[in-house]
Amino acid sequence: MLPGLETVNPDLALLTPHLIILGLALLLLAIDVIVPRWRGAPMAYLTIIGYAAALVATLLMIDTNETTFNGMFRADDFSVFVNIIVLTAGILSVLISINYMTSRAEPGSMPVPEYYTLITFSILGTMIVGAAGDLLIVFLGIEMTSLAAYTLTGFARHRTTSLEGALKYFLLGLFASAILVYGMAWTYGATGTTNLTEIATELTAFDTAGGVEASLLLAVLLVIIGLGFKVAAVPFHMWTPDAYQGAPTPVSAYMSVIPKTAGFAAMVRLLVQAMAPLRDEWTIIIAVLAVVTMFFGNIVAIAQTDVKRMLGYSSIGHTGYMLAALAAFGASSDLNDDLSVTSLLFYLLAYAFMNIGAFAVVTWLQDRGRGVDVEDFRGLASQSPYAAVIMTIFLLSLTGLPPLVGFYAKYYVILATVDADLIWLAVAIVLASAASAFVYLRLIATMYFSQAEQPAPEGSTPFLGAGLITMVAGTVLVGVFSGQVIDLAQEWVEALTVPF
Amino acid sequence: MEELTATHFLLLSAALFIIGMMGVLTRRNVIVIFMSVELMINGVNVALIGFAWEQNSMVGQSFALFVIAVAAAESIVGLGIIMALQRRIDTIDVADVRQLRE
Repeated sequence: MLPGLETVNPDLALLTPHLIILGLALLLLAIDVIVPRWRGAPMAYLTIIGYAAALVATLLMIDTNETTFNGMFRADDFSVFVNIIVLTAGILSVLISINYMTSRAEPGSMPVPEYYTLITFSILGTMIVGAAGDLLIVFLGIEMTSLAAYTLTGFARHRTTSLEGALKYFLLGLFASAILVYGMAWTYGATGTTNLTEIATELTAFDTAGGVEASLLLAVLLVIIGLGFKVAAVPFHMWTPDAYQGAPTPVSAYMSVIPKTAGFAAMVRLLVQAMAPLRDEWTIIIAVLAVVTMFFGNIVAIAQTDVKRMLGYSSIGHTGYMLAALAAFGASSDLNDDLSVTSLLFYLLAYAFMNIGAFAVVTWLQDRGRGVDVEDFRGLASQSPYAAVIMTIFLLSLTGLPPLVGFYAKYYVILATVDADLIWLAVAIVLASAASAFVYLRLIATMYFSQAEQPAPEGSTPFLGAGLITMVAGTVLVGVFSGQVIDLAQEWVEALTVPF
Repeated sequence: MEELTATHFLLLSAALFIIGMMGVLTRRNVIVIFMSVELMINGVNVALIGFAWEQNSMVGQSFALFVIAVAAAESIVGLGIIMALQRRIDTIDVADVRQLRE
C-alpha cells in the first residue's frame, strides 16, 4: 500500500550557492582546530570571500527556475533574491563584527571561530527557507536560522543581559516553532501532501467545491502566529526589545535582517505559494497585524533611552510595513501587476543596508568606549562630523526621506496597497512613518544640537569604516537604481507558479 | 469495541498541545517551561503520525522524525543558555531574570 521508494538523482548544480556556504561553515570549524593562528581577521576574510563567491554563484542563476530533490528544493528567482538579501546582509554583518570582537566593548572575550561559523549556518538556513519547495524544508531552514540566532544573542556570555536576551528569545522562539509546526501538521492533514505546489492544487480543488474547512482555517492561523513570532509582529513581539538590547551590537544588526528575512521568506512560501487559494482569509489577518505592528513599534520607540532597544522597537515598526506589502497580495487578476511580494523583497534589501548601518554607527561608538544610550550621542556632530553625517543618512533613510532607499521601499509598499484597494492601509503607513520621524529626528537632534559631555571618540576601525562606506553607498545607490532591482524582484511571479 | 480513527490521534495531540501551551503561559521555572514546549512538540508529532496513518503515507512519519531531531538540537542550545545564565545569577526562575527594562 505504501508507495515504493524511488531513488533520486538530485541536480546538485542548482545548489551551488548553498553548497558554497555549507562548505565555508565546515571549513571555518576545521580551521579552528587545524590552524589556530588564523583565528581572528584571516577567518573574517575567508568568510567574506565565501559569501561573495556564493553571491556570484547566485547571480549566475537568475532565470533558472528549476526544481530538484522531487520538488523539495526550488532554485527559482525568488530564492535568488532571498540569497542576494541574506548574503549582502551577511557580508555587512561580518564587516561590522571584526573590530568589535577585539575591542573592549564586551567583558571577557567572544570566541571568534564559532561566531563566524554560526552566522554562516544562520545564513544557510535562511537561504534554505528561500529555496524551499516543501513544508519540511521550510521548517528545517527556519530552525537552522533560529538556533544559530539564539546562540549568537547569548554570545557575550560574561554579560548577564546578553544571556537574558538569549533566554527570552529562545523560549519564545521555541514556543513559536511548536505553533508553526502544528500549523504545518494541520496543513498536511487537510491536503494530504507536504509539497507546496501540490498543497496549492489541492486547495484550489477545495475552493471550487465551496466553503473553507475549519481545519484549514486553524492551519492558516497557526502558521501566521508561528511566523508572526519569527518576524516580530505585534502581539508576538515580546522577545524583540530584550533580545536586541541584550545581544552584542553586531548580532543585533544581523538579527534585525537575517532571521526576519527567513520569517518573511517562509510567509511567502507558505501563504503566497501554498495557500494562495485561501488569500481572502489570510490577507485580512495580515493587514490588521500590519497596522497594529507599525503603530505599536514606532510609538513605543519614541520613549526609549537605549539606542539598541529603540532600534529594536523601530524594527518592529518596519515589520509592520513589510506585512502591509504582503497583505496587498492577490489584488489584481493579472499577477504580473502584483507588487506585493516585489515590494516586500525590495523592502528587505533596503532594510539590510539602512538598519545594519544604524547599528554599525552604534558599534563604532562602542568600539571607542562609549555606551549605547541616546545621551552617548550628544554632540557627536562637533566631535566626529563624518560619523554624525553617516548616522543621519541611515536615520533619514529609515524615516523614508527621498532620495534614499528607505523612501523607495515605502513608496513601493504604498503603491502595492493602493493597487489592492487597501487605501486605509496606505494611510496607516504614512501616519506611522510620521510617528517614526520623532524617533529618528530626536537622535539626529541629539547629535547636532546638544553639547558634548564626553571626550571625543578616538580609535581606528578600518573594517567597520569599509562597512559603513558600503552601506552608505547601498543606501543611496539601491534607491537610485530601484527600477532594476524591482524588475528582478518582480520575477517572483514566474518563480512561485501561484495558482490563480 | 470501538475502532481506532484519526480523530483519536487528533484529540490526543490537541490535548498534549494545549496542556503544553498552558504550561508555557503559566509556569515560571525555566526548565518547566522548556518541558512544556517539548510536550507541545510531541503533540505535533502525534498529529503528524495520526494524519500519516489516516492517509496511509510515510510523509507524516518522516516529518515527525525530523521534528524529533530538531527538538533534540533545540534542547542542547536551550540547556546551554540556561546553564550559562544559572552560573551567573544562580536562578532558573524567569521572574528573577529581568535586568533588561525600558
